[in-house]
Amino acid sequence: MLTSLVTRFAAETAETGPSVHITPGEVLHIGQYSISNSMLYAWVCSVLIIILSITVARMMRIRPRKGLIQLFEAGTDFITNMIASAMGSRQKAIKYAPYFVTIFFFITLSNWLGLLPGVGDAITRNDTPLFRPFTADINGTLAAAAVSMFFIQLFSIREAGLLPHLRHYFNGSLKNPMTIFLGLFEILGEFTRIGSLALRLFLNVAIGEIIIAVFSYLGSYAAPLTSLPFVILEMLVGALQAYIFVMLSVMYLAVAVKHHEQHEAEDHAEPKAVNAGA
Amino acid sequence: MYFAEITGNVEVLAKGIMMGFGMFGPAIGIGLIGNAFMNAVGRNPEASKYLGQILVIIAIVELMALLVFASLFII
Repeated sequence: MLTSLVTRFAAETAETGPSVHITPGEVLHIGQYSISNSMLYAWVCSVLIIILSITVARMMRIRPRKGLIQLFEAGTDFITNMIASAMGSRQKAIKYAPYFVTIFFFITLSNWLGLLPGVGDAITRNDTPLFRPFTADINGTLAAAAVSMFFIQLFSIREAGLLPHLRHYFNGSLKNPMTIFLGLFEILGEFTRIGSLALRLFLNVAIGEIIIAVFSYLGSYAAPLTSLPFVILEMLVGALQAYIFVMLSVMYLAVAVKHHEQHEAEDHAEPKAVNAGA
Repeated sequence: MYFAEITGNVEVLAKGIMMGFGMFGPAIGIGLIGNAFMNAVGRNPEASKYLGQILVIIAIVELMALLVFASLFII
């Protein structure tokens, strides 16, 4: 009798397997455009981030206050210090901080809100879940990575101008064919960075969802108990992957901007030597 | 007529071999990173402030492992 109870608790024989979704499904139609479930949840997360950020910004005072604002201040301080240590000066960190802090909080919240009970197969419409996390969809993370790389190029061009920015890919003399070859590879590398950022975020979150789905399926009646360790792991991985996304973007920006400073320093150093000789 | 035919399930075999051999590299890589970090912290305990950097490098290596896992769904 004990063995039959164990097998009954171990797996339900009527179901076919764990429910795993990798591609988004369409849930709405606005005009001729179809809205997928991850887009819908991204809108929910965006509205939530906007409301939280405006509330926290209004509550800012000189003396620290208790409550939710502490989390936001800690996160903002953490990311701003990271940008300052990567770019070298605190002033530049404050100039570029708004975008990076926002994307950090957006990705963290998007990963964490995917672990709530209603997200997934509990609420369905047209045979697909109504809500899916935005980052568990390759389209979503490709969009986030493309926007990040676009902003990095924009910031870099704003720092030094379009032609010096293009020139910094080809370091060395332009008459050397090796320089042009390596420069083209560097430009190709910028595009593969979009792919690597997007894939890293998507795979971590999607595989976490698959693991939770498998362990929920295995413990059919005790599903909350068997999947609890992995939900906690997913919270950790979600926050860590958001930090890694922002950290890599900041590093790409710092590398691009430091090149301009280096070239400017070289250009300014030469006239001084000529003046000292004469 | 053929000399011999494959009648078994080649897909499952391919998936197994890909997962098995593919996970060697990232696992050894992450182990090496851990080894280097532990050595550095052992010689100089102030080096533990670089844990953030180490986690970023581990994420770059882990991308390779996740790519292998994701290729399972392509075959």
